[in-house]
Amino acid sequence: MDYRLQRQNINTEPFMTKPPQYNRKSIVMRTDKVYKCEIINIVELTHLEKLFHLKILNRTERRIFKFRPGQFVMLEVPGFGEVPISISSSSNNTEYIELCVRKAGRTTSVLHQAQKGAKLGIRGPFGTSFPMEEMMGSSILLIAGGLGLAPLRAPVYWVTEHRDKYKDVHVLYGAKDPEQMLFTYQYDEWKKVNNINLLTIVEKQGKGWDGRTGLITELFKEVSIKPDNTYAIVCGPPVMFNFVCNYLDGLGIPMNRMFVSLERRMHCGMGKCCRCMIGSTFTCVDGPVFDYWSVLNLKEAI
Amino acid sequence: MIYKVITKNEFKKFINGLIGENQTFGPKQVDRRADGKAVYQFMEVSSFDEMDLNYTVTYSSVKNFFLPFKEELSHFKFSDNDWEQAVEYRVNPRVIVGARPCDINALAILDKILMRGAFPSPYYIARRKNTFLIGMDHEPPEDCFCKSLGHDTVHRGFNLFCEDIGEQYYLTINSSKAFVFLKNVKAGKPTKKDDVKLIERRKLLRESFQARVEVAGLSSVLDIEFKSPVWKKWGDKCLNCGSCAMVCPTCYCYGIEETIDVGMKSSRKERVQYSCNLVDFAQVAGGHNFRPLKEDRLKYRFYHHYRGFAENADDPICVGCNRCGRACLAGINPREVISDLQMEG
Amino acid sequence: MKYLGIDPQKVKIGVFDFTGCEGCELQLANKEESLLEFLSLLEVVNFREISSDSSQDYDIALVEGSISRKDEIERLTDIRARAKVLVAMGACACFGGVNYLKNQYPLKDVVKEVYGMHSVETSKVKRIADVVKVDLNIPGCPVSKSEVESIIVSIVVGAEVKIPKYPVCVECKQNVNTCVVDLGKICLGPITRAGCGAVCPTGKAGCLGCRGPAEDANYGSLREILREKGHCESEIEQKLCFYNAFNGSTEK
Repeated sequence: MDYRLQRQNINTEPFMTKPPQYNRKSIVMRTDKVYKCEIINIVELTHLEKLFHLKILNRTERRIFKFRPGQFVMLEVPGFGEVPISISSSSNNTEYIELCVRKAGRTTSVLHQAQKGAKLGIRGPFGTSFPMEEMMGSSILLIAGGLGLAPLRAPVYWVTEHRDKYKDVHVLYGAKDPEQMLFTYQYDEWKKVNNINLLTIVEKQGKGWDGRTGLITELFKEVSIKPDNTYAIVCGPPVMFNFVCNYLDGLGIPMNRMFVSLERRMHCGMGKCCRCMIGSTFTCVDGPVFDYWSVLNLKEAI
Repeated sequence: MIYKVITKNEFKKFINGLIGENQTFGPKQVDRRADGKAVYQFMEVSSFDEMDLNYTVTYSSVKNFFLPFKEELSHFKFSDNDWEQAVEYRVNPRVIVGARPCDINALAILDKILMRGAFPSPYYIARRKNTFLIGMDHEPPEDCFCKSLGHDTVHRGFNLFCEDIGEQYYLTINSSKAFVFLKNVKAGKPTKKDDVKLIERRKLLRESFQARVEVAGLSSVLDIEFKSPVWKKWGDKCLNCGSCAMVCPTCYCYGIEETIDVGMKSSRKERVQYSCNLVDFAQVAGGHNFRPLKEDRLKYRFYHHYRGFAENADDPICVGCNRCGRACLAGINPREVISDLQMEG
Repeated sequence: MKYLGIDPQKVKIGVFDFTGCEGCELQLANKEESLLEFLSLLEVVNFREISSDSSQDYDIALVEGSISRKDEIERLTDIRARAKVLVAMGACACFGGVNYLKNQYPLKDVVKEVYGMHSVETSKVKRIADVVKVDLNIPGCPVSKSEVESIIVSIVVGAEVKIPKYPVCVECKQNVNTCVVDLGKICLGPITRAGCGAVCPTGKAGCLGCRGPAEDANYGSLREILREKGHCESEIEQKLCFYNAFNGSTEK
């Protein structure tokens, strides 16, 4: 008489022999194992935002970690938690990635104290990306508000690395006040070296600011847009991109040529926990990059 | 699929055999409510007689055997300048006896989400693979509406399924493990007579459903009625206590929590069962809440349940067991909310 | 924490008791298996339950009990002035606690009932926050030691403190309990902040709300449910008043 059940172990195959196909059905089972990385540099951007340069320590893991502009990683601060952060660096940089992190909650408040040499974990990359190849041959309008410049920096890098493939490139950036502007040290390079038409504006006048003041839509007066040959990427707070996308829609840019990157609370990044749902759409798997038509079809308010 | 019949006496021997060798869970009466109704739960049992296989329905579902309310995803060990992460999926085998068709169908829905999506969950797969599941048919309680959702019968997702044909159980054998274990007892081939009894039994059960929910076109009704006042009406009653999601056999939304030990030498990352009804479900770091109102959160749960997401888009994930309706102190139940919506529209 | 390049400094901590049973303090001293590790994060400079040292130099003050005498006000004001972070610990400190029941009666009668011929100086019971600014509330009767520990760890490393916002029902259902209301009792679980592991309902006793209100609690709905189940208004009121945790927040 035998009634004993034998234990069935799963996933005994070694991890990381092949790139995990995070956006298709994954053959890699260990979805919760992080890539260990080291902070190799910290740039203090504002009093709330820091830019972390992270290098994946294992060579094989570093080699197989590939992402596209617009994608994000789950950043693990061991002991404290995991947060979704969009990648701010060039997808060509195979040495390290750059993550711009605002101090906003428990995990990020600890992360902001971390020093160079600290070891963190990342999982990913996750989510959809901007269709950079599709945009080749056209003009591009990159519009960011506030922290929105962080996810926009990856497509900006892409454009600068393939500058000859695109016609006019405009970057319109608005912030609350001059102290909150991100990546100010790169503006000159973008303008002078990369031939990008960068226009900035702040809502509140601040010390030493002699630029424009007002809402981001003010900047549209200074650019000429050919709607039939322009793509737009918009990142920023919901109020802003509703306003901006409406305006661009009015100009006649087709909805499927406008892209936005949405933000939600994510816990898993894998379309399981449902924390980031907007209506019946997963921000982590179906997004974070959506075209404007998909955004209009979302059931809940963005 | 292989079919057999077994006398109830032999069946008892069979179950006691399984209990003797494996950790086993079955339905037990745990309480009696103030209104006189018995309360059942799946509990660990040490003999066949401890179980009440004629139970109506368990208060909680079997879901938490596969998606525990708290489950370690990984843990970190900290050394001086470094840390190591360990991920394990060890699950000891166990037996569950007496799951109802709707319970098993609920697992089949979870299978779709957690085993087949873009990121199959190794934790869930480990638990599913290591559970020997024995299902049983039953006469539906009066508030059960699983028939409306097509979940009153079950064809997959179990190892063994038993249908009561009087003196005997008509067995559906769906795994080699079950087939081998059954060699320990006397189980014969069904006769023509047994087949007839089975068909009669199924007919009887089918006809004994009293509750009904109209689900045709519900997915688009939910879209169209997104701003219906019905949500406010029910939302005002909602306690946002998450009880519905905890007892539901398919609610799987979760959160991830990390706890560092006091000595700061290690930490645990856990998946924690959550509910979209809880106040901070959609709150982001910094404080903004994407669903600030009770009605938003209640609506969202219905939206998920009857519209379905991703892997089961446009397919309800509700199986119609009405556990949420029974657990809700405020009396919020799918039948009334949906009929309100359908009338409204 | 060296893996993050953070080297947390030992913080100086003082634990002080006012009107209360000192049960919360005892909780801290109780859990032996983690006591040593807990103490390794801290330099306890003033904690009557575990040490006879008493220094007035501390960063964090954990304050237990409510305020019911004039001299307590002076002592508390002094503690506030010295502490960088003042934590109200336990239901008495956060809400007034069981002591607050006294405020329902004339002070004269209370003194006579309790002390008889040996009358003492006493005043109406106050919450800590009624007297000084409170930086953080850790509710519960008694507090959960593991919650206090995790909060202290958070303070030490400068992480934002996390405390559940949802009600006790979540934890109660996770313990696979039968609902106490279904058993015919009054339970404040649906409006009370979780974090206690639903100990009372697990023991088949209705929750009395020692952890105070959950966020966005639906008082009206719970009152209606309890009334429908046949509980009278005064009975419900009595439970809500037990710890004074819902004072002023429960509309009828």
